[in-house]
Amino acid sequence: MSLDQAEPAAPPSAGPAPRKAGRRDGGATGLLGRSRRSGRWWTPWLFLAPALLLFLYFKFIPMANALTMSFQEVQPYLGNKWVGTENYATVLQSHGFREAAWHTVVLAAGQTAGSMALGLALALLMEGQSRRLKFVRSAAFLPVVVPIAVVAELWRIMYHPTGDGMLNSLLGLVGMGPSGFINDPDTSMASIMLTGIWRGAPYDMMIILAGLTSVDRGLYEAAKVDGASRRQRVWHVTVPGLRSVFSILFILAAIRGLRVFTEVFLLTNGGPDGSTEVVMTLIYKLGLEQNRLGVGAAGAVLLFVATLLLTVVVQLLRRRESK
Amino acid sequence: MQRSRWIGAGVLASTLVLTSCSSGPAGVDAKQNPKAPLELWTRTTPGGPGEQGALKLATAFEKATGYKVEVTAIFDDFETKLQQRAAQKNLPDIVMNDVTQLGAMHSQGLLREIDLDKIKDSEQIIGQGLDSGKTVDGKQYGLPYSAQASALLIRKDWRQKLKLDVPQNWDDFAAMAKAFTTQDPDGDGKKNTAGLAAPLSTKRGYASWYFSNFLWAAGGDFITEAGKGTYKPAVTTKASVEAMQWFRDLGCKAKAIQPGAVTMDTPPTNETFEAGRTGMFVVGPYLLPRFDETLGKDKYEVVPMPKGPKDATVLAEGGSVYLMAGSENRAGQDAFAGFAVSAEGQKTAMAGDTGYIVQLPVNKTVDISQVRPDPRWKTYAQAYQDSGRYAPSIPNWTPVRQATADTVNALMADCGLDTEAKLGELDKQLADILKEQGIAAS
Repeated sequence: MSLDQAEPAAPPSAGPAPRKAGRRDGGATGLLGRSRRSGRWWTPWLFLAPALLLFLYFKFIPMANALTMSFQEVQPYLGNKWVGTENYATVLQSHGFREAAWHTVVLAAGQTAGSMALGLALALLMEGQSRRLKFVRSAAFLPVVVPIAVVAELWRIMYHPTGDGMLNSLLGLVGMGPSGFINDPDTSMASIMLTGIWRGAPYDMMIILAGLTSVDRGLYEAAKVDGASRRQRVWHVTVPGLRSVFSILFILAAIRGLRVFTEVFLLTNGGPDGSTEVVMTLIYKLGLEQNRLGVGAAGAVLLFVATLLLTVVVQLLRRRESK
Repeated sequence: MQRSRWIGAGVLASTLVLTSCSSGPAGVDAKQNPKAPLELWTRTTPGGPGEQGALKLATAFEKATGYKVEVTAIFDDFETKLQQRAAQKNLPDIVMNDVTQLGAMHSQGLLREIDLDKIKDSEQIIGQGLDSGKTVDGKQYGLPYSAQASALLIRKDWRQKLKLDVPQNWDDFAAMAKAFTTQDPDGDGKKNTAGLAAPLSTKRGYASWYFSNFLWAAGGDFITEAGKGTYKPAVTTKASVEAMQWFRDLGCKAKAIQPGAVTMDTPPTNETFEAGRTGMFVVGPYLLPRFDETLGKDKYEVVPMPKGPKDATVLAEGGSVYLMAGSENRAGQDAFAGFAVSAEGQKTAMAGDTGYIVQLPVNKTVDISQVRPDPRWKTYAQAYQDSGRYAPSIPNWTPVRQATADTVNALMADCGLDTEAKLGELDKQLADILKEQGIAAS
């Protein structure tokens, strides 16, 4: 544990120190040296300009539009009407919004935890340099590259709710089922979660595999010499060594989980009985099916704020922990 | 450096706000150009027979009038893509879409009012169809080019094998659905069939769409007119509750609706019928070419819907031509609408065994039995004429359909729910929707 904490803390303390020193005693010579190194201040901005322009027109302006729309009743050909915070009130009071928000949190948490746990298990099983492992790893990674529409259709077939459905036949072998899966309000959320974990775990696996290469082998040997069992080595060496990887994965997976849409839309469209309604499907219904774009935009802004808050909180926690 | 950053951020934020605030009713008074080609969007599968039908109609129109038309077929998320174009203030000139989209598009100002005096042959349009294109204030914003109503498709071979008669009332209907589910009508020795195919997903409000055939035949309603253009919710009336309970029993007690119906929209539901997993399907005539090809014309029959507790009312629908706002060629828009409803346009759009876009003609002078001698089409035409009923013209029908679809879906998915309590909740929701649209009865 102490080793693990000491290592990441070392570079930041060593890193900025020489730069600060350079600035203090640099004077005119320092500035000249810097301008020679990096050119004029606007040079990097010039290189960034094409990308920034594209971002401006295809990302930031639409985002600003969405923000404005969230305060308007949107009628493109009649002229938008300013309605203040009415759209936000409608979203927050709309039937099932709270339920949808809760479902989103449950789904995001379940998929994040499930994908990371399964991804870690897969990564530990498939760590190594063997050629066969490379093949198996590629095979395991396939769910990530398969289009989500195909994944949804595949799982819809597997979830067929009668005894002759694929998963139900397996359940039948062990004397269980048949389950309604996505067609039963009691099991629909778990079924969607399972599909998400199946798709997300290989992605997490690849990142964890990359992270595993940075774990010091010497620590394993030291732990072994100290008599640590395999499980103890994983728990006390591997898991702490992957802390930063987990934190990145957590942010990525949580954002992915909060914005979950396609698999829910294709598998259940929020049903049955609203049991899998998530914020994104609700926004879609309010904004695009009922043509209330202002209300939909308000929902989207709320989701953006929630995602932003989550990211900032996790970053702050990380920073506090690394201190 | 810090200061310049703040200045930069301020300039960027101001630009964004100014850019995003610049929305106004641009495009309404577009400069006219009678030679501008007309962009036409039709809600049908790209590359499918529907697109071929639209192209055929467009070509005939170009030949007859000299205007140019560019056809675009879109099926998935048609309304979403239209919204995107609306946001860009660059709508297509003409949209051919469901009649029920009228309120949603009109309330957003996407449509131009149609002056019937400028539409050639408008007096030949059947009254019921013409009314479906009127908004609640009686103004014409849509012009029907195709009509349809629901009828009952039955697996003829299954019915004959089980020695059942064509159902005449709801008891017969339920008995046949149950027999198809339990008596192995396909003779493969497995319990793998269901009586009724039903798309009960909430997507696009399908569950509400389908259930309306049963609700109206029972004398129930989603909303009912309360005079002076106002409406009140009607899902808790005795007839509505009984219709829901009867339909629910088909799924929950008799298990006679296909498994997984509550998450199925139309494509997978159609597949259950053509794959021999379901034996009855209440649907419009647009699926006949598909089922003729995949299932075989001899395997199924088309009969009128059996009479419910009140009558045999079925859902009437169809497609309308919508003239979109902001077009630079209004004369061309009017000409296309006129051609689509003319006898020539209707016959062109009805021709062929698959690539037709007019199901039942809306022009009084066109006789379906002459264009399509197949008696099944006569059955549909009769159902439309005698028992067809369109969704009411309110400012926006979509929220009503969505809310009712959610409830029907819930009641069919969870057999433990209390029907009356759930319909009571829906009643309140509908009251709010009507109030929001300014048509609630006080």
